[in-house]
Amino acid sequence: MPIGGKNYVRIIPLVIPAIGSGGTLKLRSFLILSAFSLVLFVAVTLLSAHSPVPISLQAAAGKRVWQRHNCVSCHTLFGNGGYVGEDLTNIVTKVNPPQLVQYLVQPPVMRPNRYRHHPALNRTEAENVVSYLEYVHTIPTLGWPPQPEKAGDEP
Amino acid sequence: MKLFRMFSAGASGRHPVLTRPRQQVFLAQKISRRYCLAAVTLFAIQSVVALAGALDLVIPDLPSPIPFEFGRAIHLGFAVLWPLIGTMGMVYYFTAAELNREIFSPRLARWQFGVVLVFALSVYVTLSLRIGNGREYLEGMPALYLGIGLALLLAAYNLVRTLWADKHHITPAAAIMTVGILFLLILLLPNVLHYDNPTLDEAAKFWVVHLWEEMAFELTTAGFIATFFIVAGLAVREKVEKWLYLEAGLAVTGGLYSTGHHYFWIGVPSLWLVLGALISLLEVVPVVMLVQMTYVGLKSSKANNTTGIKSKREKLTLWLILSSLLYHVTGASVFGLMITVPWVNLYVHGTYTTSAHAHLALFGSMGFLVLAGCYYVLSRGSEPTQAGYKAGVLAVLLLNIGLIGMGTALLVAGFLQTYLWRVLGRDFMQVSLLLTPYLLARVLAGGMFALGDFLLIWQIYAAWWRTRKNPS
Ligand code: HEM
Ligand code: HEM
Repeated sequence: MPIGGKNYVRIIPLVIPAIGSGGTLKLRSFLILSAFSLVLFVAVTLLSAHSPVPISLQAAAGKRVWQRHNCVSCHTLFGNGGYVGEDLTNIVTKVNPPQLVQYLVQPPVMRPNRYRHHPALNRTEAENVVSYLEYVHTIPTLGWPPQPEKAGDEP
Repeated sequence: MKLFRMFSAGASGRHPVLTRPRQQVFLAQKISRRYCLAAVTLFAIQSVVALAGALDLVIPDLPSPIPFEFGRAIHLGFAVLWPLIGTMGMVYYFTAAELNREIFSPRLARWQFGVVLVFALSVYVTLSLRIGNGREYLEGMPALYLGIGLALLLAAYNLVRTLWADKHHITPAAAIMTVGILFLLILLLPNVLHYDNPTLDEAAKFWVVHLWEEMAFELTTAGFIATFFIVAGLAVREKVEKWLYLEAGLAVTGGLYSTGHHYFWIGVPSLWLVLGALISLLEVVPVVMLVQMTYVGLKSSKANNTTGIKSKREKLTLWLILSSLLYHVTGASVFGLMITVPWVNLYVHGTYTTSAHAHLALFGSMGFLVLAGCYYVLSRGSEPTQAGYKAGVLAVLLLNIGLIGMGTALLVAGFLQTYLWRVLGRDFMQVSLLLTPYLLARVLAGGMFALGDFLLIWQIYAAWWRTRKNPS
């Protein structure tokens, strides 16, 4: 555990002067344990969040569009978000990108509403956000979403 | 540094206060009342926003000044921030009570209240105007969370200085509450940045969504529960203190690495599947310890009539704490563990099942506790009337029934969604349309919940009003 070892050494001089002597030994061990766990946790998270394919400029711009319009309130990415609309992690495999752009630029009425349309984007925004969705699709997700059983598999 | 010295100039952190008799009301405790009042008020407004959102999901074309996507964001903004504001008040109140002296700087605590309130309200106002940053739970502009971070920094500084003033008499409850506030600050700060990498973005977000709720707030509420149990005669100080650091240590390590159960599918290596699943088991241990402590306390107080709870104010607080414990065990731990099993999570993840757990756990275990603390703080110095007490108990009952109703409806919806959409692979929108009856049931239960909410807040306001002149 090279990361843990190094961080541990770095924490000790921070923690020890921060606590008074005598009587508070248990507090001190609690603080050392907490600080050590936190640093190790953050380090492992940063290492594991490193993405194999860097994000393109257009996709990064698309991520900002995604955030500005609060798409996450209705849709999930990686399953995190709202449940009104479909998960969009792999949407580019179901609907091709030009169609997606078209959908966002001229949004249809959303079922079961009769008047309310899906929020609209301008063309640049739409192209950027679709580029972002194409990027999200390339991120490996350990087998999620699950493959549904095929019809006919059932007894 | 100069600024802080200016704030502390008028504060009486050290010598004279130490000798004052018990039962004294400290400035910190008066100031904590504003935090608690603000928190319960925001909770009341949250119900209204939430009901509107829930109706929007079942009534097509419902006209609304705020579109659903921003309404939901406001609802989540409430869910994160009112427990925070209430916690800030509780921590000041119970730290002063535990240490039996004034906090380092009451003046700083007043400023902090202004800061946190202004920035929290700004989150709601900007989101109503459709200005936001679109990260779930933290939908407000990043600068506003920097403001919340500033309030937390003031709190952390104030509390650390308070403990520091008398290093040799730090009680475990006071210490873990301060550490809880420090964690809130540390975990929020990475969330004022922008991340291009969606995996890192999700991870950082869960440092608030998961680690605030299941780690930092666990520390602050453990401090509150310990203090309350000791004061109410439900537990002996020595016994509680013997376990408190161990409990806190488990909550911290268990809480941190069980974040893994949110990392499963966001693009991290499979190490996190193992870590998230195994360490989540550890997360349950502090809950078991808490339940055990409560059980023993209640049993001995029943057996011994002289130490048992007599005051109606303490009884009502206890009802709220017991409600919280119920969901700590059921909605959070048992249900949480079930959906943590990776093979289960693979299917239920991203369905209404999550929403069921989110409501049962977030309001059930954290919300009830913060309400308990806020009621206790705001009612200091006055007993509820018989009618007031009954209304309070009824409110707690309504909140429970409403919450269980919402949870059950969402659970059924989630189960259907999991089976039909995820397992059988039917079309998402077709399945969604089938869920309407359950989402309607959720609205009805939500209405019940809102009634309980208003009734309880009414009682809390009444207590506040009675004690506003002289909370002693
Ligand atoms: C009157 C009571 C309430 C109603 C009717 C209600 C309704 C809703 C609705 C419509 C949503 C968005 C759609 C969904 O995820 O299901 C939602 C999400 C959420 N609400 Fe509530 N809510 C209520 C109370 C609360 C309270 C008191 C809290 C916490 C303090 C809370 C926390 C949450 C959370 C964390 C989510 C996100 C769930 C997720 O992403 O899975 N809600 N609620
Ligand atoms: C006080 C305790 C708890 C609170 C306040 C809480 C709150 C929440 C919230 C708000 C979410 C929704 C996150 C989202 O929208 O993405 C969530 C999800 C989750 N929680 Fe908890 N929780 C608690 C305890 C637990 C425990 C003890 C476990 C397991 C041991 C657990 C396991 C999970 C899992 C696996 C998910 C993800 C569900 C999914 O895949 O969508 N929770 N929790």
